[in-house]
Amino acid sequence: MSQDRLRQTGVALAVLGTLGALLVLWMVFFWVPTERTMGIAQRIFYVHVPSAWIAFFAFGIVALCSAVYLWLKDERLDMAALAAAEGGMVFCTIMILTGPLWARVSWGTWWTWEPRLVLTLLLWFIYFSYFLVRNATENPEQGKRFAAVVGIIGVLDIPLIHISVTWMRSLHPEPVVLKPEGPSLDPEMLITLMVGLATATMLFLGLFLMRYTVECLKREVDQRQTGAQAAQGA
Amino acid sequence: MSGPAPFAVRETDFSGSPTPTLEARGLVREFAGFPAVDGVDFQLDAGRLLAVFGPNGAGKTTLLRILAGGLRPTRGQVLLDGNTVDVGDREWRRRIGVVSHQGFLYGRLTVAENLEFYGRLFGLSDLAERVPERLAAVGLEDRSRSVVRTLSRGMRQRLALARALLHDPEVVLLDEPYTGLDAHAAAILRDVLASLKDGRRTVVLVTHNLGQGLELADRVAIQVAGRFRWIDDRDRVEASTFEAFYRDVVEERA
Amino acid sequence: MDYFRVIWTVARKDLLIEMRTRERVAAMGSFVVLVGVLFNYSIDTAIVRPQEIAPGIIWMTIIFGGLLGMGRTFHLEEEDGAFSGVLQTPIPLDALYLGKTAANLVILSLVTVLIFIVFSVFFGLSFGSHPFVLLTVVFLALIGFVGLSTLFSAMSVRTTMGESLLPVLVFPLLIPMVIFGVSATSRLFAGRPVSEVTGSVRMLGAFAILSVAAGALLFRYVVEE
Repeated sequence: MSQDRLRQTGVALAVLGTLGALLVLWMVFFWVPTERTMGIAQRIFYVHVPSAWIAFFAFGIVALCSAVYLWLKDERLDMAALAAAEGGMVFCTIMILTGPLWARVSWGTWWTWEPRLVLTLLLWFIYFSYFLVRNATENPEQGKRFAAVVGIIGVLDIPLIHISVTWMRSLHPEPVVLKPEGPSLDPEMLITLMVGLATATMLFLGLFLMRYTVECLKREVDQRQTGAQAAQGA
Repeated sequence: MSGPAPFAVRETDFSGSPTPTLEARGLVREFAGFPAVDGVDFQLDAGRLLAVFGPNGAGKTTLLRILAGGLRPTRGQVLLDGNTVDVGDREWRRRIGVVSHQGFLYGRLTVAENLEFYGRLFGLSDLAERVPERLAAVGLEDRSRSVVRTLSRGMRQRLALARALLHDPEVVLLDEPYTGLDAHAAAILRDVLASLKDGRRTVVLVTHNLGQGLELADRVAIQVAGRFRWIDDRDRVEASTFEAFYRDVVEERA
Repeated sequence: MDYFRVIWTVARKDLLIEMRTRERVAAMGSFVVLVGVLFNYSIDTAIVRPQEIAPGIIWMTIIFGGLLGMGRTFHLEEEDGAFSGVLQTPIPLDALYLGKTAANLVILSLVTVLIFIVFSVFFGLSFGSHPFVLLTVVFLALIGFVGLSTLFSAMSVRTTMGESLLPVLVFPLLIPMVIFGVSATSRLFAGRPVSEVTGSVRMLGAFAILSVAAGALLFRYVVEE
């Protein structure tokens, strides 16, 4: 696909995602019934869970593109990894911000050592170091490789982190254990959640494609600028 | 890019002539979009010495690092006996020696320990004889147990030479080897360079010191802004007028 | 075999340099002794018994003190460009990584022994009745820790941020080591049966293998130019 097509697809998906977000908001506030035990605060669930799904999904893309980038050294893979990381970071941040809001109301505390919460926080920091190393080198090629290494190690370590934080909870059970979601979910809740998931996915893919094309343009500009400087200097 | 279509061979075949021909085809290396080396071609016959002159920032060191296999070219390739060498080609590293203004020495190890360490990494088995022999060649035989930090600059430079040539490389790359040498080390370097011209080694010497380069060269190139602006046999230039010619080439009057 | 000779040559060179300078061991050693002293005054022994929180403090000391030394793994290499010289030799880069990791493991093991001595002398801790299980736990955790920190110190030394980058890179990845290490040592110190820590030992083993394998695989992309 050409760059223009990518950009158009990205914009279309982002617009769809934005419309979807309005729909989700309407469903969350006016349509879906209130959950019995967790009360009104549970409605944030329809934003929180899709964000979580995207944050981990995006990190999968980052790791995959990074691994293939180290192998093939194709710039496009690095740009895709970068775009996915930025999108993932946005949703990871949403997840971290909405989590404590929910926890404050239903568990009575801003922060608990609930494993998924901890895992998310660590994921956020792995994303953070991904950007940190990328910009901390004199030679940008090296920064790209470093970031790729961080992405790969991050995705390898995440299962272990998940196991360890989950295992920790079994030692110290939380006073409030999450109700298992899924099959017991009310159909209207399930529909809302699905619409939320679809919306988040579209928004992410839209952002991803737009960010990707912006990065393409940015690198072209950089290249032309250094080219012009070299021509002047010679 | 000129020349015949490049053919890429993953596994370098070194079974050919014992002294290799070195060839560069359309070498380009960009840093963040800026070409430091911008299309270098040359062919150097076995056993000969190419001197590359050029002002600062012409990309000479970058070129040498590509030839040494330490830097991946953005485009183009290095060929040895007609076979492409890949970055990270271990057999290539075994056959190449690099002398630069850095010594690549460990200051806290002794003279002998430095050579032994590198010798082991090159997989040499006769270090017990080889190390004293090489130390004698650079006049450091009685300092083999001194810690490198305690050596004078000149001694360290001589040791660096011995280190670079320890494994008897067939291709020798020299990056400004005369920089900061004291008189004694410069004399030894001149001897070593002369001894390299034994017809068994292919040498590339990068320098901005015209006199010392011309003295030894078989072929001469002038690199400006990443390109060889001029390259020819040594016999085709007059030593006495070369400096003026060099300046003309650099300033684009020739 | 050639491969193992390279690992040995690299590790031996690092240990030889450390023996001459004692820079890293001295820095880490004094760090851990002083942490022991500070630790004594950071808790009110009338309310908290040091034995109860010692396992956690021991592991934090290993991590902070260890990172202090591991961060300098490549500094001596950069002096006079020695590392570029090593990269010009025909050795496999994973062997180079494993050699440096092995040397770091030896150095950090020494420091860890010192940590345990300090804590036992200062606080009269008893280490339980299964010294070999404890040794396995600590050793596996150290392998994982050294594997990651050697790789990332090669990275941080090549950045403009230097060692200050190291904790940000390494700490999030160390959670498995902290959780399983602390849990196993706490239980062993408390004299619980070995069956209670086998799960942790297994996880620490997985962590060690993962760290070293990932490091050996990815090291080349960190040092290549």
